[in-house]
Amino acid sequence: MRKENKKGRSTGKVIKSFARFLISIKKYRFWIMLSIILAIGSAVLGIFIPKILGDMTNIAIDTYPNIDFDAIISKVWLVVGLFVGSATLNYAQAYILTVVSAKYTRELRNQIIDKISRLPIAYFDRNKYGDTLSRMTNDIDVMTTSLSQEVTDVSLSLSILVGVTIIMLTISVPLSLVSFVVVPISVLVVGKIMGHAQKYFVERQNTLGALNSIIEEDYAGQNIIKSNSHENISIESFNDTNFKLGKITMKAQFLSTLSMPVTHIFTNLGYIAVVILGGIFAIQGKLTIGALQAFIQYVSRFNRPITEIASTTSTMQSLLASSERIFEFLNEPEEEPDPEPAKTIEKIKGEVEFHNVNFGYFEDKPIIKNFSVKVKPGMNVAIVGPTGAGKTTLINLLMRFYDPTSGYITIDGVPTKEMKRADVRKLFGMVLQDTWLFNGTVEENLRYGNQSATLGDIMRATKASNVYHVIEALPKTYHSEISEDSDNISAGEKQLITIARAMVANPPMMILDEATSNVDTRTEQLIQDSFEKLTHGRTSFVIAHRLSTIRNSDLILVVRDGNIVEQGNHEELLKAGGFYAELYNSQFSDN
Amino acid sequence: MFRLFKFLKPYWWMVVILIIATGGQVFATLQLPALMADIINNGIVTENTDYIWQTGLSMILIALASAACSLLASFMSAKVGANFARDVRKAIYEKTLSLNIVDIKNYSTASLINRTTNDVNQVQEVTMMMLSVMLLAPMFCIISLIMAFRTAPDMTWIIAVGIVAIMTSVIIIMSLVLPKFKIFQKLIDKITLLTRENLTGLRVIRAFNNEGLEKRKFEKTNDELTKLSIFLDKILKLEGPLVNIIFNGLTLLCSYIGISLLNKDFSYLGNMSAFAQYVTFVMMSFLMMSIMFVMLPRANVCAGRINEVLKINSKIKWQSQTKGVPDKVASVEFRKVDFRYPGAEEKVLDNISFTAKVGESTAFIGSTGSGKSTLINLIPRFYEATSGDILINGINIKDYSKDDLMQKIGLVPQRGVLFAGTVKSNIMFGAPNATDEQVKKAAEIAQAANFIEKLPGGYNAHISQGGTNVSGGQKQRLSIARAICKNPDIFIFDDSFSALDMKTDAKLRAALKPITDDMVVLIVAQRINTIKDADQIIVLDNGKIVGKGKHKELLAKCKTYQEIVKSQLSDKEFAKEMRSVNA
Repeated sequence: MRKENKKGRSTGKVIKSFARFLISIKKYRFWIMLSIILAIGSAVLGIFIPKILGDMTNIAIDTYPNIDFDAIISKVWLVVGLFVGSATLNYAQAYILTVVSAKYTRELRNQIIDKISRLPIAYFDRNKYGDTLSRMTNDIDVMTTSLSQEVTDVSLSLSILVGVTIIMLTISVPLSLVSFVVVPISVLVVGKIMGHAQKYFVERQNTLGALNSIIEEDYAGQNIIKSNSHENISIESFNDTNFKLGKITMKAQFLSTLSMPVTHIFTNLGYIAVVILGGIFAIQGKLTIGALQAFIQYVSRFNRPITEIASTTSTMQSLLASSERIFEFLNEPEEEPDPEPAKTIEKIKGEVEFHNVNFGYFEDKPIIKNFSVKVKPGMNVAIVGPTGAGKTTLINLLMRFYDPTSGYITIDGVPTKEMKRADVRKLFGMVLQDTWLFNGTVEENLRYGNQSATLGDIMRATKASNVYHVIEALPKTYHSEISEDSDNISAGEKQLITIARAMVANPPMMILDEATSNVDTRTEQLIQDSFEKLTHGRTSFVIAHRLSTIRNSDLILVVRDGNIVEQGNHEELLKAGGFYAELYNSQFSDN
Repeated sequence: MFRLFKFLKPYWWMVVILIIATGGQVFATLQLPALMADIINNGIVTENTDYIWQTGLSMILIALASAACSLLASFMSAKVGANFARDVRKAIYEKTLSLNIVDIKNYSTASLINRTTNDVNQVQEVTMMMLSVMLLAPMFCIISLIMAFRTAPDMTWIIAVGIVAIMTSVIIIMSLVLPKFKIFQKLIDKITLLTRENLTGLRVIRAFNNEGLEKRKFEKTNDELTKLSIFLDKILKLEGPLVNIIFNGLTLLCSYIGISLLNKDFSYLGNMSAFAQYVTFVMMSFLMMSIMFVMLPRANVCAGRINEVLKINSKIKWQSQTKGVPDKVASVEFRKVDFRYPGAEEKVLDNISFTAKVGESTAFIGSTGSGKSTLINLIPRFYEATSGDILINGINIKDYSKDDLMQKIGLVPQRGVLFAGTVKSNIMFGAPNATDEQVKKAAEIAQAANFIEKLPGGYNAHISQGGTNVSGGQKQRLSIARAICKNPDIFIFDDSFSALDMKTDAKLRAALKPITDDMVVLIVAQRINTIKDADQIIVLDNGKIVGKGKHKELLAKCKTYQEIVKSQLSDKEFAKEMRSVNA
């Protein structure tokens, strides 16, 4: 009972995603229709070829031994005309579909990229990048290849099927019936087998995923495996899964190749039945030899579209699965639109105020409770707390990556909620621990926040951020290609470049993350020095790790388990003897 | 590609059965058209119904035999293919695990993973195809040719015409398309890259309001890709209609020639349709083979990548049994150790000598590239010293068996690495016989007990693949607990504390103290606070030791050390530190 329900639901889902898919290609309906018509035309022209060839044989037999070659030659030209015409139409429709499907997938790709920029950050904090990436690559790939293929195959196969059926019936009804009988049986059997194979294919995909994870983990942790003499146990667990994968692959592979011999045997049996019966009919004079020869050709033409349509259903399934994944992504709720009309700040002073802000990433788990603070223009604010305490939450709220559940934040008295997100973000420069650089030249990366910066501006920034000499030492200086994972520059130097990038943008306020692990001490000194230049005279929020930064800041926000538990300057907080004092004493004093 | 076929060796008898079954299938299938011609010529023309029935019956038997052969062939090819892939995967996996960092330095983890999975899948697919198509197609081709020749020797030239036509069209199309495929692949990679950038750089892109710029960049590449894929498809789609024209043309030719030969021999009446079928078979096998040749280069690339890994010879040779008896007391000694990467000119480590004694801690500090991490990686022989000796408990590390050496070492890497399983299985990773007590103790020392107890299931809490369900700091503490639980002679902390906040760092070091009495502790660190209390601090600069001693001694006399300390303290604090030295 329950099983039926599930099936019913999934059928509904399939119909829904199919409908969604149809709507998305609606724009191309004219071209798709045209290509279907061309496909039908091509099929119809092709269908007559065996019949005319059969006629040729009949003419020869009838006029034997004085064969009427004139009549035959005219038939030959007719056949040539037919198959050239058929091939031309076929190419025309393939051409149209190629262009349509290429344009359609281009559109889908653009839509996905666009969607990425419209989704709330929360979506990406909840979902893995790999998943979105795979929609862009694998799913789109499936759609491109199957779309043009499927439309061609289905329309060609269907029209051939119909045409051939009609011609076969006109040649001989009993012979046609014999060949038709075989079809449903073979389709049924193959369908059953494919159903089983599908099950194993899914299982294979899952096992492959499991094996992938094992490999990934073990390769990444190779040193640990080695230094703990854990190889044998690791190999054992790998072998278990690998063995299982081998077994399932074998089953899936065997079942899927099985459909070939199975269809073959049915096709052959049908073919033989036609030959025997046709032979007897020919002797009885119910059928000419030419007609029999033509019929035999039609039988083989009749079988091919059927197997093709059968295989189409499985590709159709993967097409629908992929299109469902793509549309699911495209239908995700987007960020709330910016207010219209939006408020703007003419001349920024840099006063930031939190008014009774409440926030939680999940509704039932509030993190920031009724938090208020006033940051005067030019103040340096340090955010401190143990690892994983939620220091970045404040930054998420300031930059409007997330919005408070209640309460609001103002800049120079203007609630950020009433401004455009872009206008809020323009006010802040941001240097995060994760040094994201895109694939491109150093210069393009530095210009990222200010496309109109001159080379002079850029050089000033690189000098101020102590990365000037590093860039000068690169083989192509500012035109050197860099990226997130390029290794021609070190992690610390990448951080310096992100600082320079923020300087080029020259925003009125700054947000910084000081955490610089894996950076050597001298580079760290350079980074610190440029941080100081960056925050000087600007309202700034710093996730602070260095004692000097913390001590020199005008305001310290102490974060613990996501909550802001204390605020004040260094002396005040020490005197209060709370969590900050405890933190400070354990970390920095000599006991 | 063919080098990988040695993995087929254990299954040679399956391959033999496969070949025989395929041959049988081909032979049987090809009998059918000949028999049909017989029916027309001997049955219909002579009006012999019995003959038709008899021949028909043998056709049925042959069809059944053919089906049986092809079933057997399918089964064998599935089995061979799956086993082949399994064995290749296993070989790569075991090879990779057996190699050292220095051996695989040039391959990223992602690329090694790809080689173990995707590349193997590709090769498997092509191997399977080769086992079926490469066997089937030539056999089909040859037997069809023979049969065609036997049914109508005067018409065999038609086949030659067909082969030339098919080959020319395939070659022309492929030569137009193949060179562009590389560019196509690059554009696809670029699309992936740009999408990935948009995802990983999400916050930065929005912070700079550069969504529009990113979109334009993407659309540009997308347009290029679309253009090229239309170009490629336009050419590729030519193949179907062309092949159709050739097939139809040949069939027509057969009919026409057959008819014109009727006057010479009336048996051409039946033979010409049989012949036409054989011609189709020959053409089909040529098509199949040409597809094979298109796929082969791609598989060859994958096979090359696999072979590359399998061919690596580990530069590090282990003793099967430890030579000599190591001291009971732990110690680490470096004697004039040099290290440079194979092929590199510059030394990463230059003339390093020091001794680390039991119960003492030795810390290494220096800037990036000073060689401190490399130094520590020499001890478990992840890298091999270019010259000089390293002694552990009085014996050269080269004289140890692998397990004996590793058993003495407790290594905590820079990034916490965990494995799927439970908290407990991770802590017990290097000490499979540890008791619950020992696991708990190790967790307490590593400052991990608190958060472990809060996890659902406590010590039996599930750790997901790669430890993604615990935070970075927690991961690091668990990997420290893992090293503690092993109870090694030598503790190596490779910059393991920087993921911890300073408070946890301090607590952990205090808790470690009592258990390290009979151990040697080696610490690589960035923070002065972490190493200040070490019994011996070794300052490295450009691969050389530039200072050796305690904190105060170094502050007094080592310039590099002073610089490092200065960079981490405020001026006031630094002045205070210096005063305490002078006092």
